Amino acid sequence: MNSFVQGDPLLCIGCRTCAIACVVAHEGKRVFEIDPDGYDFHPRLSMVKTWLVSVPVQCKHCENPACLAVCRSEAISQVEGKVLVDQAKCIGCKSCVEACPFGAVRMVALGFATNPDGSPRAVAHKCDLCHGLPGGPACQRVCPTEALRLVEREDLDAIVKNKRQATLVAAASPELRDRPNAF
Amino acid sequence: MSNGVHEIEDAKLLLVFGYNGADSHPIVARRIVRAKRKGAQIICVDPRRIETARIADLHLQLKNGSNLALVNSLAHVIIEEGLTDNAFIAERSHGFDELKELVKKYSPEAVADITQIHPDDIRKAARLYATSGQSMILYGMGVCQFAQAVNVVKGLANLAIMTGNFGRWGVGIGPVRGQNNVQGACDMGALPNSYPGYQNVTIPEVQAKFEKAWGVPLSNKVGVPLTHVPRYVLHEPEDKKIRAYYVFGEDPAQSDPDLNEVRESLEKLEFLVVQDIYMTRTSQYADVILPATGWNEHDGVFTCCDRGFQRIRKVINPPPDADVLTDWDIISRISTAMGYPMKYKNTEEIWNELIDLCPNFTGATYEKMEKYVNVQWPCRSKDLADKGTSFLHKDGHFANPDGKAKFSAVDWLPPTEKENQEFPLIFSTNREVGHYSARSMTGNCRLLRNLEDEPGWIQMNPALCQELGVKEGELVKVVSKRGHCVTRCLPTERVKKQAVYMTYQWWIGACNELTIAALDPISNTPEYKYCACRVEKIKNQVWAEKYVLEEYAKIRAAMGVNPKGGQTA
Repeated sequence: MNSFVQGDPLLCIGCRTCAIACVVAHEGKRVFEIDPDGYDFHPRLSMVKTWLVSVPVQCKHCENPACLAVCRSEAISQVEGKVLVDQAKCIGCKSCVEACPFGAVRMVALGFATNPDGSPRAVAHKCDLCHGLPGGPACQRVCPTEALRLVEREDLDAIVKNKRQATLVAAASPELRDRPNAF
Repeated sequence: MSNGVHEIEDAKLLLVFGYNGADSHPIVARRIVRAKRKGAQIICVDPRRIETARIADLHLQLKNGSNLALVNSLAHVIIEEGLTDNAFIAERSHGFDELKELVKKYSPEAVADITQIHPDDIRKAARLYATSGQSMILYGMGVCQFAQAVNVVKGLANLAIMTGNFGRWGVGIGPVRGQNNVQGACDMGALPNSYPGYQNVTIPEVQAKFEKAWGVPLSNKVGVPLTHVPRYVLHEPEDKKIRAYYVFGEDPAQSDPDLNEVRESLEKLEFLVVQDIYMTRTSQYADVILPATGWNEHDGVFTCCDRGFQRIRKVINPPPDADVLTDWDIISRISTAMGYPMKYKNTEEIWNELIDLCPNFTGATYEKMEKYVNVQWPCRSKDLADKGTSFLHKDGHFANPDGKAKFSAVDWLPPTEKENQEFPLIFSTNREVGHYSARSMTGNCRLLRNLEDEPGWIQMNPALCQELGVKEGELVKVVSKRGHCVTRCLPTERVKKQAVYMTYQWWIGACNELTIAALDPISNTPEYKYCACRVEKIKNQVWAEKYVLEEYAKIRAAMGVNPKGGQTA
């Protein structure tokens, strides 16, 4: 099963340290050595704030990804449990952005690749779970409130188990519910 | 703070009043989140739906500027419902009867219109606070940046005294100060009325002690507060006038209210010295600029908001061609040049002189800071066994001459400048995570600049945006009686329709063009959280975008720095 990073809105304080860590992880140390305007700042996750919730939204690394299914240029692939975009192959058709049910893919203009008319080239951009980088997802590592976690098979198993337990309790007759150690 | 930051997570109830930890201090916010996880109840009092409000058990979304009306009403309910700690009041305080009389008229019903809070919610909050057994108050600039500020702080202290929430672990009241070392600046006597260690300049014994230590006669007159400087430059008679001004790690031309007046006073000055790590808006007016080392290029001591002294250490050398000196070296050289020879080998030598002159700091040696990392004053003995003081007022002993707490009975006053037909909206400053203070440090951090850059945002309720016909990201003009600025519209349902909010660090979206220099009579802090304004749609967005770019380049050119972006030369 593919893993993915999920945020907990009860812990998230909306600070976007994750967004900065994402860019630093993918750009590497050179970020601090080049011209301050010499790189693109495109975090692969987006902080969403509503009345009730603050939490970053990012790719769920679907098992049968809609983005991959609609991609015409074979730019999207599954590698080692991750859904990846090869931006060099991306033709910028935007089908994946429309297909993704979670809003996890967006188009970003790469300042250093240009179209024939001279405009900056926009390509699909999304979380790659820090593929090929040491230490696992950077966003999860830096979060000051530990609001982000990598959800793996055993985490989902635990969630399912708890829900089944809750279902039993809800369905039980009152006599059974009040008996100690019934569940 | 009366109690340590580390105690926050052990409180059973947190009353977070006008304090937005998530944006101001994510590391303190982490303690609030942990407290919640450990089962603490949280009451959030804020006109905005801030992050703390989301996880709170109760959010009192009060109308801006109604702080003391609400605080007095909370006291009213606690007294009316008999939830007071009568033994603590009788033995450890005085002045309760006067307060009891005053708050009679502050029933939740009586303040419902002023505060825009349902009376039931005020009652519920008062009960939760008074009955948790271990309640802690955290407050921030939402309390302090009003013309009625100190009296609100005293009002919050009233709540803690009457419920016995002082002098124990995980209780008390905590001003979570706006900046990392503002506590340190006050501790070191960077105030108009005190020597280091809060020793008042008007007390003859104190004066004699420092005269003896430093070998010079010293003044016993209280100085001029920062926010009074424009008046002293522009309006005082000749013999009282300020002619020269030495600004040190501060950017009044960005961070003080009513920038028009600030600029006028900086221009009128005969002589201005600016000592800073980068060019600032203020340095444009300077006759002399003294470039100093940055935080990672020198040693020193910071004080955390909970009175904790911590070492800061030099990590790197300044670039060889930088021509910078440490702040203490600059001060020593200036002093020597002015006829008082000052020479130190290192910061420890300065620190040792200081702690021996300040009884509350005497025990906080470099050795202890090394060993215990964080030493909270009072720490009076150099013995290693004295590790400092996590919480003040143990066993109800307060710093007043009689050792008792003093209740304060003061009526609520409305803010200075009210909304009107011409300026129908409430304007308030706020903070955003990432950019710190006037941005002279974080504006030079490329990633933080990537996160947010000129001209900043104005938070507006979506209904207001719709009424004005402005969309997210559009440039708008914000106007008050005193000035105007251009910024981007950020619709958010987290703010009410009656008020708009901007951060104060932008040069083009400089919201202090709008703010009012109405000061609290005791703290002299300006009313940054309330003035009247209006927001105007800009029809020609192409022109407006061009204006922002051109202004940015112009300001940078005037400061002599790279015209492209950011602040770095």
